[in-house]
Amino acid sequence: MKTRRPNSFGIKVIAGTMSLLGVSVALLLVVILPTRSSDSPINTDEITLHHAANKETNKEAAKKVSFNRDIRPILTENCYACHGPDAHDAKADVQLHSEKVAHDGFLIVPGELEVSEVWLRITDKKKPMPPVDSHKVLTAKQKDLIKRWIEQGAEYEPHWAYVAPQITEPPVVQDRDWSDHWIDNYILAKLEDKGFEPVEDADRVTLIRRLSFDLTGLPPTPQEVEAFVQDASPQAYEKLIDRLLASPHFGERMAIYWLDVVRFADTVGYHGDQTMSISPYRDWVIWAFNENIPYDQFVTHQVAGDMVEDPSGNALIASAYNRLYQTSHEGGIQRKEYEAIYDADRVRNFSEAFMGATIGCAQCHDHKYDPYTDEDFYSLAAFFGQVDDLWHLPSYEGRNGPGTNSNPTKREPTVDILSPLDTQRKAALEAKLAKATDAALKKTIQDELKAIKPRKLMIAKQLRAEKYRPVRFLSRGNWNDDTGDVMKPAVPAFMGELDVEGTPTRMDLAGWLTKPSEQGGIGELNARVMVNRLWYLMFGEGLTTSLGDFGGQGVPPNHPELLDRLAIEFVESGWDIKAMLKTMAMARTYRLSSEPTKELMTADQNNEFFARQSQRRLPAEMIRDNALLVSGLLIDQLGGDSARPYQPVGYYMHLNFPKRTYKQDEDRNQWRRGVYVHWQRQFLHPMLKSFDAPSREECTAKRSISNTPLAALVMLNDPTFVEAARNFAQRVLTEAEGDDRARLDWAMMQTLSRKASDKQAQLILGLLKANRDAFTASPASAEQLLAVGLSPRNEKLDKVEHAAWTEVCRVLFNLHETMTRP
Amino acid sequence: MSDQRKIADLVHQQYEQLQRVSRRQFLGQVSLGLGAAALGSLMGAEQAVAAASRAPLSPLQGAVDPLHFAPKAKRVIFLCMAGGPSHLETFDYKPSLAKMDGKPMPESYTKGQPIAQLQGKELKALGPQKGFKQYGQGGISVSDWLPNIGSVADEICVVKSMVTEQINHDPAHTFMNTGTAISGRPSMGSWVNYGLGSMTDDLPGFCVLVSDAKSRNPQPIASRQWSSGFLPSKFSGVELNSIGDPVHYVKNPPGITRTQQDHLISAVKDLNRMRDQEHYDPEIESRIAQYELAFKMQMAVPELTDLAEEPQEILDMYGATPGDGSFSSNCLMARRLAERGVRFIHLYHRGWDHHDGLIKHMDKCCLTADQATAALIKDLKQRGMLDDTLVVWGGEFGRTPMSQRGIGRDHHIKGFSMFMAGGGVKGGMTYGETDELGYNAVENVVNVRDLHATMLHLLGIDHKRLTVKYQGLDVKLTGVEHHTRVVKDIIA
Repeated sequence: MKTRRPNSFGIKVIAGTMSLLGVSVALLLVVILPTRSSDSPINTDEITLHHAANKETNKEAAKKVSFNRDIRPILTENCYACHGPDAHDAKADVQLHSEKVAHDGFLIVPGELEVSEVWLRITDKKKPMPPVDSHKVLTAKQKDLIKRWIEQGAEYEPHWAYVAPQITEPPVVQDRDWSDHWIDNYILAKLEDKGFEPVEDADRVTLIRRLSFDLTGLPPTPQEVEAFVQDASPQAYEKLIDRLLASPHFGERMAIYWLDVVRFADTVGYHGDQTMSISPYRDWVIWAFNENIPYDQFVTHQVAGDMVEDPSGNALIASAYNRLYQTSHEGGIQRKEYEAIYDADRVRNFSEAFMGATIGCAQCHDHKYDPYTDEDFYSLAAFFGQVDDLWHLPSYEGRNGPGTNSNPTKREPTVDILSPLDTQRKAALEAKLAKATDAALKKTIQDELKAIKPRKLMIAKQLRAEKYRPVRFLSRGNWNDDTGDVMKPAVPAFMGELDVEGTPTRMDLAGWLTKPSEQGGIGELNARVMVNRLWYLMFGEGLTTSLGDFGGQGVPPNHPELLDRLAIEFVESGWDIKAMLKTMAMARTYRLSSEPTKELMTADQNNEFFARQSQRRLPAEMIRDNALLVSGLLIDQLGGDSARPYQPVGYYMHLNFPKRTYKQDEDRNQWRRGVYVHWQRQFLHPMLKSFDAPSREECTAKRSISNTPLAALVMLNDPTFVEAARNFAQRVLTEAEGDDRARLDWAMMQTLSRKASDKQAQLILGLLKANRDAFTASPASAEQLLAVGLSPRNEKLDKVEHAAWTEVCRVLFNLHETMTRP
Repeated sequence: MSDQRKIADLVHQQYEQLQRVSRRQFLGQVSLGLGAAALGSLMGAEQAVAAASRAPLSPLQGAVDPLHFAPKAKRVIFLCMAGGPSHLETFDYKPSLAKMDGKPMPESYTKGQPIAQLQGKELKALGPQKGFKQYGQGGISVSDWLPNIGSVADEICVVKSMVTEQINHDPAHTFMNTGTAISGRPSMGSWVNYGLGSMTDDLPGFCVLVSDAKSRNPQPIASRQWSSGFLPSKFSGVELNSIGDPVHYVKNPPGITRTQQDHLISAVKDLNRMRDQEHYDPEIESRIAQYELAFKMQMAVPELTDLAEEPQEILDMYGATPGDGSFSSNCLMARRLAERGVRFIHLYHRGWDHHDGLIKHMDKCCLTADQATAALIKDLKQRGMLDDTLVVWGGEFGRTPMSQRGIGRDHHIKGFSMFMAGGGVKGGMTYGETDELGYNAVENVVNVRDLHATMLHLLGIDHKRLTVKYQGLDVKLTGVEHHTRVVKDIIA
């Protein structure tokens, strides 16, 4: 086995591997065997002729049935739960995922429908498959596909996500003028094939709003909008992309996404949900995106940064990824049980975050749909046995575990460290101080400098355990079973083997994730996972919609060649995230209007073919940021401690060990971006929660987008938004000039990058007047409204006027348009 | 291919769409603008108070339509005794354990078994700390700590053979609520609302009330316990708070009158509608509807939570003091929520983790839990609502027959008691047994998934057919185990 080449997701090598492995493993491998074209009894030309001879007019029917496109989804959905890759549980020892077993066992006989057991069983009237009690039913269309597939030779294909991306030439399109970019060729070719017409291009205002939200998470200022609209240069748009990618807010925007993926939170998650010392990791993520750290390095440093020589200490901070799992400090937890829970947590996240794989499913049994075995699961878990968990578990090997109820949780080892953003900020402030002459300014800067202190982080140069914690194979996931073998760290068997002397480490694991196949890794496969996510950030949906599952139950892409091409470009660019985002933004497909035509709403409601851009509600954090920025309250500072905004009283009253009282920030930390808000896993801030921010107990590659009355109540009544409206009104009254209408237009420009229509103005100014009347009649009410929030009020402003305009600003914040990325 | 992609987003989109459609219908009916809509709803709500148990308010369609069986229950009130009450001092009387008091627990019971805080400690038996009496026609044994529950013995079915898989509080609650200890799965209240749809359009279909027991160190209760997991967040439980706003942000900002708020919401709605006419965005319609709902909730919640309108004898029956947030008040609130069409009402009483001082703590916990639980059952009964309301009472696990720190008991998962009442469950019976020391459930064992399957069955749902595609699996509340069963013996 040692002679195996590490390069092994290529089809040929896998086939070669088979004979070297045991039979049971071979069964799992054959799913990605090359098709047996040499001995396939059916000639595809004959099929076409056959159908033509039958005057088969349906173009669809004449098409060759594709295993990946047509058949695998049917089998996965309806058959694999009992007849799939899980060899242990295969009913009647029948497995259909494997060409070899299916063909050799006469389950499927290529070209011979009548003797194929599968066909006989699915058409059996008395005892049909799938069985009645499974509540799964094959449709007539699905049966027809299976029929034609068997007739055409029943060729299996390797699962698309396990095959290295293939480079293709962009397809030739009929409307050559339309396409600006090779991305457009791939998109337009499919649209032409489907007979869909792409929509018009978006106007410039829409474009800068879209791009600003997508790349910085913030709306453009009216000045920025004006400058872009007026820029006649042919490079205007490209310059805009470059400017936004260079913005320090780019990293904050990207971190919103990545922190979901790696389940970053400020608290331990289980039982007492105590605070943990982790925030420098968040700073590192922001910094890494801003510095455009190549994605392969970005991954490597998170998985194994403690093993990297990096004098800056940044790689070490990145390795806090290994501390993001949930821990329990409940009295009476059993060590072995929690070792198993933590291992599983890490395998689940590692595989979903970096590989788009659901290997967590193999904890108790072989994966039902993918070739991951339960041995793979524990072999992968064994890498994390190398992480020093002494303080995360009760009495380990005679040593005492952490104090159970301390808050923040006591978990060694820790370091006191300046985050890379702290370091940058410090340098910038020092430079500013050197130039400053004004004493007051000097004092301010000095105070700010003093506030930058090393923060505690649960990480150490020797994150590696002094001794490996043995990770045993747990049959059926039973942690109380000590009879399983101690596992050697290894990558999933069907994907190859690490070519290293001795025990493989997390560093080897990271290398395998990111190295190209030539060097024994699966880098290209993971590149595909990441570019799909970048596409999702830019287009509102991935090329495959299952961002976290590239396995058999994931959704195959409609544009596989485009996805492959993007992945290859990504690797060849040196894993350059900013370059990839720019590539996507430059495409005409990105610049389309997001308004669907009636035809498209019928033909492609979910926008699977990208004939338009997508309108979508902003993520929770951006909704907050948007209001704070417009109101002038937003603190423009990168990194730092987690922020504690206003929160309903008593929200933490059900926390215990120890009991908690929430202490909101009383200083400028109150008005920080959403990405910095303290993330209490058990009680996430209700504003974030109402707008679908996840608890970050598990990997979230794609947030759901809900639309609920609770979210409406947040926008209407959360003091953060009332205070923002009050400050925004203050800006309206002090910065805008002219009459009410002119002021309204100014305010609309701030929030929506456009002026009010006459009809809208009439309605809003009517509300302004009514509120003037109401507050004139009750000045005390105006005072109450204006007292919301810690920020000082400009006392020169008339209270009635200020309060009435606050109501107008609340209206603007609550508009659908304000919270929508156009 | 197209079908496949749709599968991936099935849940979310179907439900968003469903809601849009029913909102549209609603808006079509009420075209007089928001004020009128809200007024109409208020009148509806008042009428509904009287009629809720008989005729549900315009039910929003659930995923299971039509239901798999004729339902016996329309709603569930789940009374979670967090911390894990001792079965040995509530419903499972063990004279043999009394004889063993202070003696070493036989190893045949404990060897190789999971254990929590007693890890590495000497294991001694602790006899029952309270007397028992037999109640009702079924002669159900109930401890002297729970005389009021004893008085409704003919309404309840005690299951004495419960088992669970999780021995620590947090995962045990997660398991009890979601059928798995892994975070991120929907809670049973979310499943029920997803399956059945809602019976109210101005309150959430899944409400949660948590009470501090003023007893031993209260159990932490994570909001994960009422999370909708991967189901759309509208199925998430909404906590009704005892301090501050009953529902977060349900109160207008300071200084803003109802008229002003009404005006503001109207303006937002009208502006959104103008936008919709100029720029097509299918989400706008839904946004407008949600603002209507928010406004209706702003009206409905204060009325709901105003316990002072209850007659004194009802308050006394529960032992409730308006505004105290006690378990007693929350039991009364549970009835009011049930009347208003809330589908799943989940209460937590946080006081039951009696590692020590068991007698003292049982005195306190039972005082509130006993009276209020019994009052709720009686009150539902007298209003004709018990027949279609399933009440479930119990902890996330039981407690050891072994002592801890003097008179105390550790966590125990191999056998414990819960009871059910109403909603099509037989009254006046017990089901299942533990062994003579109350350690292992030995007869008619009911695990947590069986409890879930039975609950869904009573609501008209086949647990095997309530599935949602997630990470490639057809996920069920009752998990992948094949031997999960509906406990038919206890169904009337």
